[in-house]
Amino acid sequence: MDLSPRHDIGEPGELRRKVHRGRRWAVLGITAVLIGAGAFVTAQGLRNATLFFRNVDEAVEQRVELGDRRFRLQGRVIPSSVRSESGVTTFQIVHDCAVASVRHVADPPELFSAPWIPVVLEGGWMFGQVRTFAGTDTHYFLSDRMLVKHTNEYASVNEQRVSEKAPDGFLDDCPFEVPAAKS
Amino acid sequence: MSPARGNKYMTASPATRVLGVVAVAAALLMALLGLIVSPADVVQGQAVRMLYLHVPSIWIAYGAFVLTAVSSALFLIRSRRREDSGRHHDRLAGAAAEVGVVFAGITLVTGMLWGRVTWGTYWQWDARLTTTVLLFVTYLGYLALRRLPADPMIRGRRSAVMALISIINVPIVHFSVDWWRTLHQKASLSVGRRPEITGEMYWTLLYSTLAVTIVASWLIVHRYRVIRLEELRDEEALNALIASRLREDE
Repeated sequence: MDLSPRHDIGEPGELRRKVHRGRRWAVLGITAVLIGAGAFVTAQGLRNATLFFRNVDEAVEQRVELGDRRFRLQGRVIPSSVRSESGVTTFQIVHDCAVASVRHVADPPELFSAPWIPVVLEGGWMFGQVRTFAGTDTHYFLSDRMLVKHTNEYASVNEQRVSEKAPDGFLDDCPFEVPAAKS
Repeated sequence: MSPARGNKYMTASPATRVLGVVAVAAALLMALLGLIVSPADVVQGQAVRMLYLHVPSIWIAYGAFVLTAVSSALFLIRSRRREDSGRHHDRLAGAAAEVGVVFAGITLVTGMLWGRVTWGTYWQWDARLTTTVLLFVTYLGYLALRRLPADPMIRGRRSAVMALISIINVPIVHFSVDWWRTLHQKASLSVGRRPEITGEMYWTLLYSTLAVTIVASWLIVHRYRVIRLEELRDEEALNALIASRLREDE
């Protein structure tokens, strides 16, 4: 039985070629869009994701090679070091017993006020004599963007109070003392 | 997974109507527990309530994509033996992928809103976020491939191969927080590790996972039946065309 359409559409071979051509372009178009999206996402990922931040100890160790380059720095905020004046927040962050002094020149996120909260700062090393809980340092970190890196721990506000104490074992091996924050 | 006899053009059966009622009730109870009963977090405050939708959504998306991959593998095996024998698996793969994409989308949106409140930004290209958006885009591509006009068996085979390739990203997304440094926190619940979440929050999270699973199952059953109805419609349209041509030829 002949099921081909009755109206004039040219030769069957031509029709098949038209349909195949149309289908091929659709497949190619979708494939191109997907490859483009995949390549964009992968490029972003490779550029940023594999080394999203440097911990304080690594950034201090790599200070010379980092120079004035912009990078992300991660550490926990020492609550007793936080000062705020004329839109500039100064504080110290610590990771693996390395301490960095930070000058942050933008509004910090709301959760910044939580004691010992881990933060990721965007900025770079600046030359300048500063005092930290670990001693004197020749550089401080100038930051203009702060991301709060909250932990995977969740506790009910009814069962636990916000503690000013350092997380368990966090400063145990460090050769310096951190004074308690004034409440 | 067929609807009740006599309801050829419906997607509901007595069992799925019950499942639907249970799903709605479970979702309402989840909202009650998540928004009112469970306490605020000591650090994040009320923002923690996003957890009860965000985390179950990605788990369900993982589960749906695994179901897509398993069904696709079964389709590839069965369709070799006999024409049409694997269509059921192909439909199930498509239905699960659609629901998986919806829940992956919910994960991304709730994650962005949660991130704005806690991290201070909607988006960062860290490893977890990057691989999750790649997962979402990949399965959108899979759904687009399923919509391309082609012979159902050929289209099913192409889609099945893509589903088996795409599933590779699921463990990468899940373990990205362990393999790379990310802004995203590590998992709070892991097999063999003490949960990092306690009391009512822990139980609310587990319950939310159950509720979202029921809702997703209900959606998958209905999407499966809608796909079957679409195939029936196409078959009946073709049969009607053949019948009319036969009448013309007589």
